[in-house]
Amino acid sequence: MKRRIQVVICRVCSGAANVLDVEKLLRVANEAPYVGSAIAVNYACNAKTIAQIVEEAKSREVDRMLIIPCSKSDVSPALFQAYKKKAKINEFLMETVDLVGEIVLPHRDNPARAQAKAESKLLAAITRMAMLEPLQKSSEKMRTKNVVIIGAGVAGVEAARQATQAGMHTILIEKSDKEVKAPGVVMPKTRLVSAKGHAGNFILTIEAGEKRETLECAAVVIASGGDWSDAKGPLVQACGAKPLYRLVQEIGEGIISREGVVIVDTPDPKADITSAQDFAWEDAIQSAIEIRKKSPETEVYLLFQEMRALGLDELSYRDAADLGVRFVRYDKKRPPHADPKDKSKIVVIDSVQGQTLSIPYGGVYYASIAPNPDNVSISEALRIPMTESGGLRRGSMQKGPIATPRPGVLVCGSAQFPRSENISRLEGRAAGALAAQLVSTGIVEFGGSVAEVTPDKCSACLTCVRTCPFEAPFIGNAGKAEIQLQLCQGCGMCVGICPSKAIELHNYTDDQLSTETASYIGGDF
Amino acid sequence: MAEREPKVVGYCCEKHGIECVNLAARSGKQYDASIRLVRVPCTGRVDGMHILRALEDGADAVFVLGCLEKNCYYDTGSIEGRKRVDYVKSMLSQVGIEPERVEMFNASSSMAWKFPEIVSTMTDVAKRLGPIEPRGDRQ
Amino acid sequence: MNNKVLVIGGGPAGLTAAQTLASDNEEVVLVERGDTLGGMARELTCKGISECRNCGVCFAIDRAAEIIRMPGVEVMLRSEVVSIDKKEDGFRAKIRSSPRYVTKSCIGCDKCSQVCPVDGKAIFAPCGSGHPRTHWIERGKCLHFRKQKCEKCAEVCPTNAINYDDRVKNVSRNISSVILATGLDPIDAREIPRLGYGHITDVVSSVDAERILNEKGRMVRPSDGTSPKKIAVIQCVGSRNEKTGVEYCSKFCCKYGTKIAQLIIEGDPDTDLDFYFMDLRTLYEPQDDFKKWANDMKRKVEKKKVPRVRLIRSMPSQAFLGDDGRIWLRTSDETDSEITETPYDLVILSVGMRPRAPPDLLARSLDLAMDGCGFVRCENPKEGARVIVLGAASEPMDIEETVTRAMAAAADVARKGGSA
Repeated sequence: MKRRIQVVICRVCSGAANVLDVEKLLRVANEAPYVGSAIAVNYACNAKTIAQIVEEAKSREVDRMLIIPCSKSDVSPALFQAYKKKAKINEFLMETVDLVGEIVLPHRDNPARAQAKAESKLLAAITRMAMLEPLQKSSEKMRTKNVVIIGAGVAGVEAARQATQAGMHTILIEKSDKEVKAPGVVMPKTRLVSAKGHAGNFILTIEAGEKRETLECAAVVIASGGDWSDAKGPLVQACGAKPLYRLVQEIGEGIISREGVVIVDTPDPKADITSAQDFAWEDAIQSAIEIRKKSPETEVYLLFQEMRALGLDELSYRDAADLGVRFVRYDKKRPPHADPKDKSKIVVIDSVQGQTLSIPYGGVYYASIAPNPDNVSISEALRIPMTESGGLRRGSMQKGPIATPRPGVLVCGSAQFPRSENISRLEGRAAGALAAQLVSTGIVEFGGSVAEVTPDKCSACLTCVRTCPFEAPFIGNAGKAEIQLQLCQGCGMCVGICPSKAIELHNYTDDQLSTETASYIGGDF
Repeated sequence: MAEREPKVVGYCCEKHGIECVNLAARSGKQYDASIRLVRVPCTGRVDGMHILRALEDGADAVFVLGCLEKNCYYDTGSIEGRKRVDYVKSMLSQVGIEPERVEMFNASSSMAWKFPEIVSTMTDVAKRLGPIEPRGDRQ
Repeated sequence: MNNKVLVIGGGPAGLTAAQTLASDNEEVVLVERGDTLGGMARELTCKGISECRNCGVCFAIDRAAEIIRMPGVEVMLRSEVVSIDKKEDGFRAKIRSSPRYVTKSCIGCDKCSQVCPVDGKAIFAPCGSGHPRTHWIERGKCLHFRKQKCEKCAEVCPTNAINYDDRVKNVSRNISSVILATGLDPIDAREIPRLGYGHITDVVSSVDAERILNEKGRMVRPSDGTSPKKIAVIQCVGSRNEKTGVEYCSKFCCKYGTKIAQLIIEGDPDTDLDFYFMDLRTLYEPQDDFKKWANDMKRKVEKKKVPRVRLIRSMPSQAFLGDDGRIWLRTSDETDSEITETPYDLVILSVGMRPRAPPDLLARSLDLAMDGCGFVRCENPKEGARVIVLGAASEPMDIEETVTRAMAAAADVARKGGSA
């Protein structure tokens, strides 16, 4: 490889504020090793200038480029495109140095030091540039346009609808045999067993009834929801408390108890953390209003620790109170319980008034959603971390509110944390849309600046396998670690932790980083 | 130069770390020029060896700047980064070098105030402790 | 076919919608009233110290930084949509841009602002942490537009970014759909005079507190710049009240109120905090989490553990300045039986929100309606225009919900294509 660098300095930006002496920087660059050409231009983003830079690159036969613009974001993508296409320079041999953001602006009060620092930074960048290797990105086609949605609840059905409309094939997996009205394929009595592959080309193993099948898909949406079946807690045992959705169903069917309805925030008021509620109150208050309207003689009590009537639900809260719904706040230390003498009554101490109320009831319902126990198996299959409260954890907020840490897997509805019906539906729509956007490209890109193992050094200690959040490293047939490129995101976490120093991250190797640092430290300013 | 300026190396992640530096610069913040920023894709890439090598090569202090924990673009990168920094700190105190010379920081892209504060903390440390003396000169 | 999607408002809702649309290869015109993108999030502080607290502020800031370099998105700052009219092939939006007097060459070095002779400056850096970071001149204050013909900023500008000849621009764009995300106005705490906002310096609104935290990274008293030792946070100021402020719950105040409290307490070990609230409505976390955290925050005084954070379920009735210069809050306890007075160094009022109404002419040309609380509704838009109201203009919501809604809605618009 020839290692000839072209240095392009944008005069307007880097010369800004008269802090830096661009001509001197050019001289420094020209004298540095490996530099084949150093030019300063006005407005590096201008089409004419781009042509001039590319011409210069061709005539000087450079193979790599260091551009010093205002900031990385201000370099026109057209410049990189022109370099790639016309000057045939590898995209991994083009780098930017943000002199403005790192030196000009923060050190403008001290031009002498700024100049010395800029020269030193430039030399460090040239040192780094000379050590970079050309890399290639690869791509593969997505084999299917399938989007698998786990759970046919409100969120799941909405996600299926959205993704189908965007032209995807949806496959809805539902563990029960309930009737589901959703577009695409619906598989009842099916659960996810395991998953292989990567975003764009997942291979899932599912269990439909007794049968195991494999299923290819491009993206996965988890809408496992909360768990309604298996509620525990003293109120369930003593009063037969049922989940709120049963109340909604009963109202829909016209079955309303005349002896009174009690809605309590959780079936287990003494629990250490009351992990439920949140948006569930929206549905609770609406149900209470409906009961009072349809059957005015039915007394409705809402027992709660915190009245979470969020947003405009506050207005419904007031309406409900006007309609005679009774709101009682209780203290966790004195939770509501069944009357030991008369099991048809609930005793609760109103923490505001201090009164002890004994409430007769026809039905007790709780407005909480317990986390779905299936989350454990889903999290194991797709290898997504779980939250302390038993939900599935989403990834960094930088990737948006419904993305999991694993690329290609989205999570919506109560699978994360209890949501009301409305919010679940909304998240389902967003997840469906996002999945469709992901799949619509049809191509998986990978490679480039990713990790690579030197098998001779590897002692197969599994440290990398344990550390990588994307599960890219695995122990291959040769008994040495290997990196699955499609999964590698290029963060370098395995590289930093490898005790045998057997893994390198392309273009961020130990040698490159240390040499760059040493060069930068060497500068006096 | 009358007085020796300190040398501080900062390994800075390409996501929120660098965004934080950019925002500080473009919000008119001024800070000491002794900082030498080296970009890494994620703080998880930083190896204890890089920090030690930087100290060996003449840096008075080294810091690592990454995304907030639980908000790391690569999920657990900044937590890994902190572990490595903590490990280096414990190693330094064993060989008699002040562990304050090495520090881990977290920032988000909307924190304009944070970077200048990190810089002043680290340059203060570097100025106070001075260059690392060769081992023979220590007690 | 070359009809674009018009996004009105550059806050979290508008930005997310624009970004989703642009990644679906739609052309977008983003019109923002302010000087930079980011909306309310520009002045909100990140609530994390070393660990993320999921406030969502950085998401909006990141989108703002991303959108200004996205091809296919035309960003118009300091602009307003005047009207939208039906044309044969869709709609035509008239947009009016106020002059900025600073071109895109600005690199944000802030030299201009330092030399500006006007008291209180006439050339500014953009507000908060929004993007882009281009400065702008306020014509009303600038001496160039008076007799003096001052050109100090132009002389000092290293990139010749000052352009005094900038004029009001009226442009029109062919559009197919409108996404309305005009956002919210925080409630002015002066509406509740009994809590002292406006006449006691160290009674600040949560918006002020966020701004101070975002600028300085720590809480200081506006009066003397010292860090307060005892702080009171009062929730539901202006919200959930039929007489003053608004009757609905503003939804996000408990989320940010608790997170600001956590930020202050964990950031400064010398500070104590009292948290006054009516109901604790933290979002996306178990209702006990904050209570548990508050319970765990203790300090050791003479071998005894004293709580640093007290949660008090009460609405202080009055704030007044004591002879000692501290702010005293008069509160009754939960059952209204006892009245106490407690002194504080700083009082933060967690104010709620009102939807920001779109300009009259725009509202008329789209046949927008406001519901009883002022939230924008668009059930039967005129002449079949596709109008989607997003963000806090449609309902109280926090950043996270706003973002999710915007993603879902933008996908709908994108699928139906540019030509309606």
